Amino acid sequence: MSIQNLNTFDPFADAIKSSEDDVQDGLVHVRIQQRNGRKTLTTVQGLSSEYDLKKIVRACKKEFACNGTVVEHPEYGEVLQLQGDQRENICQWLTKSGLVKPEQLKVHGF
Amino acid sequence: MDDDMVFDPSLKKKKKKKTGFDIDAALAGEQGESTSVEAPAGTGDVDLPEDDNLDLDNFGKKKKKKKKAVFNMEELESTLPETPPAEEPEQQEDEVIDDLDLDIDFSKTKKKKKKKNIEELVLEDDTKGEDQENVEDVSGDLWSGTDRDYTYDELLERVFDIMREKNPSMVSGKKQKFIMRPPQVVRIGTKKTSFANFTEICKTLHRQPKHLLDFLLAELGTSGSVDGNSQLIIKGRFQQKQIENVLRRYIKEYVTCHTCRSPDTILQKDTRLFFLQCETCGSRCSVASIKSGFQAVTGKRAAIRAKTA
Ligand SMILES: [Zn+2]
Repeated sequence: MSIQNLNTFDPFADAIKSSEDDVQDGLVHVRIQQRNGRKTLTTVQGLSSEYDLKKIVRACKKEFACNGTVVEHPEYGEVLQLQGDQRENICQWLTKSGLVKPEQLKVHGF
Repeated sequence: MDDDMVFDPSLKKKKKKKTGFDIDAALAGEQGESTSVEAPAGTGDVDLPEDDNLDLDNFGKKKKKKKKAVFNMEELESTLPETPPAEEPEQQEDEVIDDLDLDIDFSKTKKKKKKKNIEELVLEDDTKGEDQENVEDVSGDLWSGTDRDYTYDELLERVFDIMREKNPSMVSGKKQKFIMRPPQVVRIGTKKTSFANFTEICKTLHRQPKHLLDFLLAELGTSGSVDGNSQLIIKGRFQQKQIENVLRRYIKEYVTCHTCRSPDTILQKDTRLFFLQCETCGSRCSVASIKSGFQAVTGKRAAIRAKTA
């Protein structure tokens, strides 16, 4: 049994966490890449491997009406790829579904 | 720092019509937070710490707002006998002329709140007179010697009095200017973009071109290089506005101090990590390292296969 009030609480725990950035920095990176012409591609890197990315991509494809796939990367693990600029859509969807906390999302691009 | 950061307005006049570069948006998040804390306390002071910053807001675009700001500032100053107004009028002119003006900003909602408070405080200051002078002397505080508890406002006032006392330069209305030209972005053909004044912007920001280059390319998810004319050629089609957005994020993360938002900082590399050392407040913090992360294959797969095979 533990008395919660006596537990030490490190107020800087999250600060430390965010400063050590490795591949597993707990952040979900949402990026955009240009393809040919006006076409773009959105990638989502860093989703926990506990999630079934295939299920996520299936749901996203339906929700955003775009194509998508899951790519396995040796360093970054499973990465979600969606056609078009789905950065806003995917951020909303991930937070709404509770898979990712808003502060974990890091959106890149222009 | 004023000197080298400020661009001669005359240089810029031609550019007047160009869209501005609104770095403030990048800082907006932070500003929102700090405003809520500082605004009520913004009593009596035209120049609060938050004002000492790169508020890249008025980069152009918002001429109207700017004018409003100027108007408000004058008002503020007239209510404040202790602030030497000498420097201001000139700078205000600059602001109106200059598009790309990262000057301290008095705009938006903050302004109204502050103004009200200033009037209040000035009144209070007058009535209180000398006992406020030595703040550390507890006898100067209204609640001392009484049973009652101090109020939040009194505490705020106390802390600001102390701040003003310890940092006279803050009160003197000295402002830091940080003016930058907008990026000149031109499309080359259909597939490439030129960022013509890339090197110049690196100099303005006092950052290594390589560092900014790495950041830009990582963020844009593309490749590119600096050519013989010191312009940056980026693969892909990008608009000025988009490059500005990325620059703004760069400035927020790697140029302005995370504590006081002063642009007077040095970026040092220390055992794989970059640290941002502030010359104004002395704070030092680590900044995120630049990583491209996952890059999807976008080119012609056949060509890639041919290359690697
Ligand atoms: Zn600082």
